[in-house]
Amino acid sequence: MNALLFILFAGLAIGCAVSLVVQRNPLYGAISLIGVFVSLACIYVTLAAPFIAAVQVIVYAGAIMVLVVFVIMLLNVEEEERRNLRLRYLMPAAVLLAAVLVAEATFVIYSVEASRYQPAHPSASANPSDVGLTASIGTGLFTTYLLPFEITSVLLLMAIVGAMTLARRATVTSANVVVVPGAQVLSSRGVDPGQVGSITDSTPIETHTTAEAERLLGLEEAPRARDVD
Amino acid sequence: MEMVPQLSWYLALSAVLFTIGVVGVLVKRNVISMFMCIELMLNAVNLTFVAFSSYFREVSGQLFVFIVMTVAAAEAAVGLGIIITVFRNRESLDVDESNILKL
Repeated sequence: MNALLFILFAGLAIGCAVSLVVQRNPLYGAISLIGVFVSLACIYVTLAAPFIAAVQVIVYAGAIMVLVVFVIMLLNVEEEERRNLRLRYLMPAAVLLAAVLVAEATFVIYSVEASRYQPAHPSASANPSDVGLTASIGTGLFTTYLLPFEITSVLLLMAIVGAMTLARRATVTSANVVVVPGAQVLSSRGVDPGQVGSITDSTPIETHTTAEAERLLGLEEAPRARDVD
Repeated sequence: MEMVPQLSWYLALSAVLFTIGVVGVLVKRNVISMFMCIELMLNAVNLTFVAFSSYFREVSGQLFVFIVMTVAAAEAAVGLGIIITVFRNRESLDVDESNILKL
């Protein structure tokens, strides 16, 4: 039964992975990658690791792939066109390197098979282990491996700050805006024309106080709750 | 007798997935596709961790998988931010066209 499940999900994972490489449209590739993630999660379940399986589905198939698909949609990625003029040698190089890698892995796995020690599949033993359960993982995470866990949180914080810094658009300044340090800059398009008279689109307008900006923008009628109190 | 998956089966599957990821990184030109192939390689390594962990009854492998997933999430956030910034500046996701560091 376990062998059948393994063959089923391994076939599914390999098929989806091949599809990820072969597809030219990145969106189809992303969907194939979700297939790989889900079939790996099923393999984790058969390996008696339910916590990792759940996290795999939630974090990988959920969060990361949503982010990837969002970026693909946002950037309106076009399909890769076929052009093999430059870097024609990459495909044979890739195949050669893959063959070397598979040969190395086969050698290692063969030597594992040849060694005398053969651990049993977790489902084969009489007493089921509690290694993959949430309780044992939580215990390990908060006792022995507390320092890596804290480092992980610092890493996530750095990732948040880095992503915000990268994704923020630099301050947009057009030609008809004058930037004065400490002053608010109003674009002439948003200004109430009755207050400043007739202006051309290239007139720079500088304000130095919030009240002045509100007057120019026609916002001064709005009552401020703090002043009423 | 019922067949039970050996440890080497999982290692073989992981090796195949990792190799497919390597081939994808080498062959693909779209930076988002390369990014997804890197995720595939991370998952292949995770599979070896979980397989060893559950065969040898040792919880540290699965904790490492947990940390690898965190790193992958951070990598996704920062990497996609970089991709968006590159796209804004160059209007292209083709890695062959981002060759300004080339001699």
